[in-house]
Amino acid sequence: MAADKAADLQTNLNSLTVKRPLYEGSTQYKSWRYSPEQLEQVRTSLNAAAVAVIRDTFEADEPGSSEDVLFLNANEEQLLVKLYITKVPQLCGHFRFPEEVEATAISYLKRFYLKNTVMDWHPKNVMLTALFLATKTTNNPISLESYTSNIPKTSSSDVLDLEFLVSQSLNFEFAVWHAHRALWGIWLDLQSLPDVPEDLRPQDIYDIAIKHVRASRFTDAELIYTPSQIALASLTLASPVLAEKWADLKAVAGAAQPLSATLDPTLELIKYIIMQMGHPPDVEAVREVDRRLKLCKNPEKVPGSKAYIARQAAEHRRAEEKRNKKAEDVRRAGTDGGNPFGSELNEDEKAKQLAELDDDDD
Amino acid sequence: MSNRASVGGWLKGKTVRKGGITSNAHTARSSTPQVQSTSSTLFSGGVKDASGRTTEYFSMDDQCPVCKSDRYLNPKLRLLVSSCYHKMCESCIDRLFTLGPAPCPICQKVLRKLAFTPQTFEDLTVEKEIAVRRRIAKEFNKRREDFIDLRSYNDYLEEVEDITFNLINDVDIPQTEARILAHRQENAALIELNVQREEQYVQALKEQEELERQEKEQRALELRREQEIEREERETAQREIIDRLETSTKSAAKVIAKSRAEAMKRSSARSTTTTVLRSNAQLLRARAAQSTVVPDPPHVPLQDDWYAYEDLYTIRDQYDDMYSDAVRKDREGIMRAGGYRVEEAWDRALRCAVAGLDLVPLSGLKPSPGRTDSVVTST
Amino acid sequence: MDAVEKANTARQKRWVKDRKVGEGTYAVVYQGREASTSRKVAIKKIKVGQFKDGLDMSAIREVKYLRELHHQNVIELLDVFSSKTNLNLVLEFLDSDLEMIIQDRSLVFLPADIKAWMAMTLRGLEFCHRNFMLHRDLKPNNLLIASDGQLKIADFGLARDFADPGHKMTCQVITRWYRPPELLFGCRYYSSAVDIWSVGCIFAELMLRTPYLPGESDMDQLKTIFRALGTPTEEDWPGHTKLPDYVPVGQFPRTPLRDLFTAASGDTLNLLSRFLVYEPRRRINARDALNHAYFFALPHPSHPSKLPKPAAQTSRPLEELDGNVDIASAGPGVKAVAPNKLKRKLTSPDGTDLRPLARRLDFTQHVKRS
Repeated sequence: MAADKAADLQTNLNSLTVKRPLYEGSTQYKSWRYSPEQLEQVRTSLNAAAVAVIRDTFEADEPGSSEDVLFLNANEEQLLVKLYITKVPQLCGHFRFPEEVEATAISYLKRFYLKNTVMDWHPKNVMLTALFLATKTTNNPISLESYTSNIPKTSSSDVLDLEFLVSQSLNFEFAVWHAHRALWGIWLDLQSLPDVPEDLRPQDIYDIAIKHVRASRFTDAELIYTPSQIALASLTLASPVLAEKWADLKAVAGAAQPLSATLDPTLELIKYIIMQMGHPPDVEAVREVDRRLKLCKNPEKVPGSKAYIARQAAEHRRAEEKRNKKAEDVRRAGTDGGNPFGSELNEDEKAKQLAELDDDDD
Repeated sequence: MSNRASVGGWLKGKTVRKGGITSNAHTARSSTPQVQSTSSTLFSGGVKDASGRTTEYFSMDDQCPVCKSDRYLNPKLRLLVSSCYHKMCESCIDRLFTLGPAPCPICQKVLRKLAFTPQTFEDLTVEKEIAVRRRIAKEFNKRREDFIDLRSYNDYLEEVEDITFNLINDVDIPQTEARILAHRQENAALIELNVQREEQYVQALKEQEELERQEKEQRALELRREQEIEREERETAQREIIDRLETSTKSAAKVIAKSRAEAMKRSSARSTTTTVLRSNAQLLRARAAQSTVVPDPPHVPLQDDWYAYEDLYTIRDQYDDMYSDAVRKDREGIMRAGGYRVEEAWDRALRCAVAGLDLVPLSGLKPSPGRTDSVVTST
Repeated sequence: MDAVEKANTARQKRWVKDRKVGEGTYAVVYQGREASTSRKVAIKKIKVGQFKDGLDMSAIREVKYLRELHHQNVIELLDVFSSKTNLNLVLEFLDSDLEMIIQDRSLVFLPADIKAWMAMTLRGLEFCHRNFMLHRDLKPNNLLIASDGQLKIADFGLARDFADPGHKMTCQVITRWYRPPELLFGCRYYSSAVDIWSVGCIFAELMLRTPYLPGESDMDQLKTIFRALGTPTEEDWPGHTKLPDYVPVGQFPRTPLRDLFTAASGDTLNLLSRFLVYEPRRRINARDALNHAYFFALPHPSHPSKLPKPAAQTSRPLEELDGNVDIASAGPGVKAVAPNKLKRKLTSPDGTDLRPLARRLDFTQHVKRS
């Protein structure tokens, strides 16, 4: 009886509070969901900012030196990133990593370049780092040594140097929801459809659909649409009949307004993106971009360059000054005030400063 | 666990069935002294648990204050407690009170044989406090709702606490008894009414008893553990002495003396940890007072407001699924035996298939509500 | 300055570190506050860049899951920022943990208190499992207690997603006393039931006030379990003898739980026995456990504000904590990710162990992190 009462209470509670869908609690929804226009804007402004900084650096080094440089534009940056996205499946095939690793690494790579530009960080190393990081975040870790020894011309520092920067750019948000899992779910759920005999859902429909999901990884789809929407669009490309039957079933369950009203245009857009952009870029075009990148890279980020060394030295000096100042402050706090034991406040202050000092030490 | 199983039950206090019939507790060893009442039907009382059993306090140091016989001489020694809270052994009780009421050899209060009860707590004042509180609870059963405001209820509680204190500590007994009597007469109707609320009260009492037993169990466990540790320490110390004697160049006497000193230090460190649990009655009182302020709501299994799309799919028992072939085959049965549940992976895939299906994609340049760190473009 | 760096600096400025409350080989914990509100927080600084394989797995796991999980009974990660090559996790500040409470002999537990702690633990765990995530290190000292009495699951350094079919998992997880028999038998395919076993051990510990199954080695752990619950038969647990590391450790009869838990009600023992079912697939799950009759029977679970908590825990200066720096019990909302890597001086300088009794038990034997 008590159980009944509590169950009632629970039902009441349920009807009173607006429930939040779990997907909307994810960092993917909260931090990595964009409109096409936002994506465009983020990329152009990042590009413009980078160009401005690099131009200044060139000028500081040698006035007039930036005039002839042909900087990359946002689209060209994208093209280069896309090329390295297509390298991920190749590497994953080589290492026999699960699909989860591949999809996660690609998401990381795309997200990284929503916070950084290729003129600062070349996608080759970022790709290697993102993939290595993805093996760890999806619980498929391998040792750095066996990772680098299987990739030609790669040292462990190529991977590790950027790991922290990549994690930071990802905001330490490592969890990703994937369309391939959604497609698996739809495929399983098709078996719950009452009027779909087994011969209507042959294996090759799934095989075609998963190819479209994989193609979608070369595009911006995952930054705009949910994994389930991408999976359903991929199934629609493979078998419109099956996809529609399944979506209708979900529409009934969803009640409120017909699902298809919002879903249909979305699916059309995803299909378009997959068909138009879901393929590797033209290698020749990318080669040209990469050649130009060599000339417009941010010298501050090229180890060994004059600007790089200057920046390092400045940073070092700043840190040193800060540390000295703090050490001095701490020393003074210990001796000033006339009270040999230090006032309460002084003690606290000192502890705080020491803590901060410690912060700077490493 | 090995410690727990091998230590005899006597340290714990024996479990004695109502009426004094000895239960062969599961952990009893043959050398364990058994509690055997010479007049088995006479003594009842003590603190009972829900099943009507009494857990009786029992120690190797027991000695009858009247005839001085102790457990060393008489392994069957059983001490009982009088209504004036004095202990004596069963044979003294038989001897002194079989012919009728007689004065207590210690405080001269007139006692009857039937009024002796088994001892539950090592500390007799706890025994007394519980008895007093139980009695007072029966008389003073008013509740918060019987008072017009919190203040008068608090005054009442204070009075009850005052009376309780007096009875426990033998302060102004005649006046206190008079107060109780007066209260009974004034509130006869209300007391009667509150009897109808008895059911809940009984529940609370049960809880309290459960707690008391738990405490005792706890104490026993602690004791056993400590004994075990002590034994281990002794053994290690002995081993150490032998080791050191073998390896050390110092004289044997020095080595032994040093080891002894260390052992002493250890045991004194331990003794500070054992004598806790004293003021439990006080703590209980504090908790009881608190529960009248903040009520305990009934259990609600889940309290979060996350929605997991349960209504959008129904998971089936079986799927034709290329990804879980390995699990289905599992010829050795190791995945099954290890508890792997492919259903959990299916559930996850199904949720992923429906999650966010109806989410309208963002459009335009409005920042998405969740995003906190806008991309800063200035340098 | 880079956009990423700039955003990070902004985050960093939101938080102030006040004092160090614990240090380990690769994490330092500070008590701190939010600059604008003075809200108390714990800041766990993880030293990065000293491991040959880069960012440490347990740091990654902890951040990954805490970033996603938002629940009353899961510790809240308020922010993440970096300073140089350090990763700083800003966590809600929590006063104490369940281990401290269990060991505090001056506290009395009512059955209703135990019920409340169990309900909160299960709610937090159910939420993890609802998000297809295994915790893999449940134990009293990972259950932290907020000042309002709410219990929060912490330390996600061993957490992982539920495995996809056919994927192996490591069996070197969960602190030994709370580790289920399937892991002790080396099973590489398991499920959420592993966490449930730990919950059962915690439930028992709350009643006994001492660890229920304190094995001294992995092998002894199995023996300890079987002594307490009887050696499983093929019928109890089909197929267990086929598990990779199966070894017979002797035949022990099943003793009724009632013999040890003399004060427990029938509902209590029933629930306990369903947490400690040998066959993992038959073990109760978190959601069903929350709907078990035990929780609906009287007494109602105590209101969180009334639950016993150690006296004046927060105001205690660090030095008084057993005379050493001990992150696990220093009382900040976090512990180092891998307690086994921390310096835990278990003895006083002269080699004499002065800690209270229950703590004499070996807490240093943590599982290998994988």
